[in-house]
Amino acid sequence: MHIPDGLMTPEAVAAGWLVALVTLAFCILKVNRRVDDKVIPFMAILAAGIFVAQMINFPVWGGTTGHLLGAALATILLGPYAAIIVISVILIIQCLVFGDGGLTALGLNITNMAVVGCLSSWLIFRPISRRSERAGVLLAAWTSVFVAAAITAAELTISYDVSGGAYGIVGTLSIPLMLGYHALIGIGEAVITSAIFIYLSKVAPDTLRMKIGKKETAS
Amino acid sequence: MNRYLKAVLGIVVLFAIGLVFYFMFSATYGDGLEKTMEESGIQEHGPVYTAPFAYGDDYFAALVAGLIGGGITFGIVYGYLRVARRKRSEAESNETP
Repeated sequence: MHIPDGLMTPEAVAAGWLVALVTLAFCILKVNRRVDDKVIPFMAILAAGIFVAQMINFPVWGGTTGHLLGAALATILLGPYAAIIVISVILIIQCLVFGDGGLTALGLNITNMAVVGCLSSWLIFRPISRRSERAGVLLAAWTSVFVAAAITAAELTISYDVSGGAYGIVGTLSIPLMLGYHALIGIGEAVITSAIFIYLSKVAPDTLRMKIGKKETAS
Repeated sequence: MNRYLKAVLGIVVLFAIGLVFYFMFSATYGDGLEKTMEESGIQEHGPVYTAPFAYGDDYFAALVAGLIGGGITFGIVYGYLRVARRKRSEAESNETP
């Protein structure tokens, strides 16, 4: 879902940078106040793990592939503020070091995959996990991919309409295609995220209580 | 620290195995957005910035790229959190002399 250079209208690109930078600054302030020693190696290893996992695309349907986004996994394990930072760092390295996603579109990619991906999964996980943690993980993971894709489709549509077709993709194509493919990719995300969550809950249950931003984690 | 070393080794082994399946089944296909662009007849523009590395077109190149990228990601997140932790300690010690 990495947007390349030149796909979106300059207005959308600027809006993406604005949302990304403001949200990242807010998350850094939040995490700086709460970070403690026990979470540091876990958060760094999780970030590295999500980076390599994102390189492994799995086949979906009709010659399409998807890969783990990791926004829900990071959000469930670290809380939304730290998760947004982790996914943003991954996206920045993918862009600057490996050329994955356009440099001008980096703000939009951070907005869609880090900010929207993490916040949407948090909004789903929090209420549902009170009844069933595993159902919360499953639904949060699927939602993170689907909502991020829906926002990307909206950006494509708005870019097309605002620029008179010079940028973006017409909504009658971008919305059904993006939502259709990512509804399926979201199932892969849900399965992988749930498997990692269940594995961690069995072998290292303390890692499920490392969220940054909750008052009880402050030492 | 031992458990973290195990976690890193576990990730490296899973990545090495996962890449085999990636090159067997999906390396030639685009992701959801690339497929949407392809089906809409959108040509990708050239990038405004050329990155120093690529993910690699074969198994070993991708393996090395993943290890480099994962290492850089680990280093940046770890370094940032260490600095944030030290600043937090300094701020707290200034508040309670």
